[in-house]
Amino acid sequence: MKPKDIIRTLLSSWVGRVGAAFLALMLLVSVFVLMTYPLDFGKKVWNNPVFWADYPQSAPPAWTNTFSSDARVSHTTFTADEPFDVVADSTGRYLIYRFDLGYDYDEFPAFTSFSLSGVTFSDRPPILSLSILRPDGKEVLLLRHIVPGAAAGETAPYTRYSETPFRVYLTGDQAVAYNVRDFAAGELGLSLSLAEVQAKPEAVVFGQPDGAGGFTPMPGEYRINVTALTYADADSIAEVKYVLGGTVYGLMGTDSLGRDLARGLLFGFPVALLIGVVTSVFITVIGTATGIISGYVGGKTDTFIQRLCDVLANVPLLPILIFLAFIIGQKLWLVILIMVVFGWPGLTIITRSMVMQHAASQLVEATRALGASPSRIMFRHVLFQIGPFVLSQMIFSTPGAILAEAGLSFLGLGDPSIPTWGQILESGFSTGAVYVGYWWWVLPPGLLVVFAAMTFVLLALGFEPVVNPKLRQHGTA
Amino acid sequence: MVLKLLGRGLTLFGVLIVVLLMVVVSLGATGFSDRMLQSTVSEEIRAYRTTLSQTIRDPEVLEATVAQRRAELEAFYHLDQPWFTRLPDTIQRVVTFDLGEARTLRTTDGSPRVADLLAERLGNTILLITTASVITSILGLLIGPRLAARAGTRLDRAACLALAVSYALPAWWVGIFFVLFFAFEWGIFPYGGLLSAPPPDGALARLGDMAWHAALPVAALVVVSFGSWAYAVRTMVLNTAQEPFVTVGKAKGLPQNLIERRYILRAAAPPIVTSLILGLAGSLGGAILTETVFNWPGMGRLYYDAIIAADETVIVALTFVFTLIYLAARFVLEVLYLWLDPRIRYT
Repeated sequence: MKPKDIIRTLLSSWVGRVGAAFLALMLLVSVFVLMTYPLDFGKKVWNNPVFWADYPQSAPPAWTNTFSSDARVSHTTFTADEPFDVVADSTGRYLIYRFDLGYDYDEFPAFTSFSLSGVTFSDRPPILSLSILRPDGKEVLLLRHIVPGAAAGETAPYTRYSETPFRVYLTGDQAVAYNVRDFAAGELGLSLSLAEVQAKPEAVVFGQPDGAGGFTPMPGEYRINVTALTYADADSIAEVKYVLGGTVYGLMGTDSLGRDLARGLLFGFPVALLIGVVTSVFITVIGTATGIISGYVGGKTDTFIQRLCDVLANVPLLPILIFLAFIIGQKLWLVILIMVVFGWPGLTIITRSMVMQHAASQLVEATRALGASPSRIMFRHVLFQIGPFVLSQMIFSTPGAILAEAGLSFLGLGDPSIPTWGQILESGFSTGAVYVGYWWWVLPPGLLVVFAAMTFVLLALGFEPVVNPKLRQHGTA
Repeated sequence: MVLKLLGRGLTLFGVLIVVLLMVVVSLGATGFSDRMLQSTVSEEIRAYRTTLSQTIRDPEVLEATVAQRRAELEAFYHLDQPWFTRLPDTIQRVVTFDLGEARTLRTTDGSPRVADLLAERLGNTILLITTASVITSILGLLIGPRLAARAGTRLDRAACLALAVSYALPAWWVGIFFVLFFAFEWGIFPYGGLLSAPPPDGALARLGDMAWHAALPVAALVVVSFGSWAYAVRTMVLNTAQEPFVTVGKAKGLPQNLIERRYILRAAAPPIVTSLILGLAGSLGGAILTETVFNWPGMGRLYYDAIIAADETVIVALTFVFTLIYLAARFVLEVLYLWLDPRIRYT
């Protein structure tokens, strides 16, 4: 059968078509990920807590709002690299940054944070202030900050916060709590304890007293004002950032470290493909080669290969995989290697029996009579005969590898530098996400594992008529 | 026939030795074994020093005595020689079921002996797997032949697809799914464990409680295995139905269900039993994940705990025992195969 015919047969059944469509989708997503993600995504992004500092923790996906009676806060990040306005007076130049926020949620934000990066000044250090103007016309001053001044021996212009930004996690910050408490006392006439305010300053800032000692969210237009008082014309700020931490986030939500699950899940596509395809290709190549040699050459070679197969095929894979990953190390290539080492014998045994049938055929006998070398007969004529079968075995062994790796990762023995779906599931399971109902953390990665495995199962099913011509007569359309 | 069986047994024993060798070599070559013994020695030395310091006041004499004791201990554990010299000894120990003591894990009675730990957990695992296998095989044997009878119909194709889905479903994830819905969302079943805390009084109530706790893990195992099972039964029945002797039976005009029972199912039984036992042997390894999800105190959960606690002795012992059980299952399979299929004797 020619490759064109194989593909045509595959696409003639809807099982094969669905499988092919799934595979195309996996390939497409993988290409996208490979083009847009850094190669050391695991180390640089996924396992780097600093990267996820401004993300809400354990937030469900944003689209769950559609099904919820409460409007939950969607994550909003305001950034500005240019001031909205510059006002100069006798004291200096005021760089004014302004963000408008329409707040119509039934909840308070999960957290709020403010950061500042790349401050340059040449004379006196800038003085910053952050305040929020509420819909009721009252303004809360949250923070006042003086950029550290010149140190001894330093020469102008001075730069601050260029490597690591100056960042204040407003929730839980003591200085912010003092300011908010003063605001509550002065403007709202409420005397609150510092601890009360410090735990959740957003309740006062974005809320109104509910009369029972608590606060309810106050909808309306808020304005976030950041003012920097500078003293020289060249003084500048590279970026000002205010984050309103959502109680929902993105397409897939976040985990308890604030990591965007959508990003991690997308990264799983190329990894799953790699694991599945590399493992199955190696298994197929080794299994077919040894099977053909064993079946065609016979004698001692055959006995040796068959005994080796007997031993390797009888080893229970998962316990051994777990043991070796634990002792030798958690490396992806190692896991693949182990799966290949213990995976090829099954194919060898089947291939051998098929080769023995074909080797006795008239075609092969005729070829031999014509003087063809054994290696030519083995790898041109015999391999050609069993080609479709080998191909289907390759597809069929792919889901096993994906599932095995996912299982291993689920036990916490995956390669941490390459995040996979199994690892995301593991972190969800081991931190107890299942027991508090964080379904968005445990269902999607498992579903994707099933999706990837299904892709290859469907392809293998669609492939069946190619391998087993008897089925073709029934018609599988 | 006996020779064949003997040969098979020898092969399987060879597998056991290979696995053991692999385990021991990877422990030794990576330095794990050395570190393990070194920490045992250090612990003993610490205790020795504490007792000694009450009688010997002179620090120099104390140090000398301790150093001498350390050297003795290191010689006792063969730490003064390279790891591979300990190899035959370790293998002999494990093969004779001297599994050692766990570092941190304990039985409910507080025994650190791995053999005790195993004895306590093995029953729970078998209970889980056996129940699941019985249910699976009944379902498979009910559904498989019916599908075979309707081969090629729309129903058959839809069923095959459903069965394929179950092949792609990992049992542990189905378990998580069940926990999320049946335990968290609806609260009908417990999150996991073997018994409620405190367990109910009375044997019957206790049994009921255990069944209630086993319901979700068993259901998860059945959901993932019965699909491929029914598919296997279907295919085997279908293959056998195409054999010449079945055609002869039909030609003789024998009634349909007699043909089904005597001709087809009888002949299809060996491969069916084969895949049942193979599934059984395989699911022991798979139970590591399912038991972890359900916190089921079986061997798999023990294995997981040992990994988390980095308790090497338990990991080695369990790997060995898992392999042993798997191989025993395969051997039983060989015997059954001979017994079930008379045709094998002539080959």
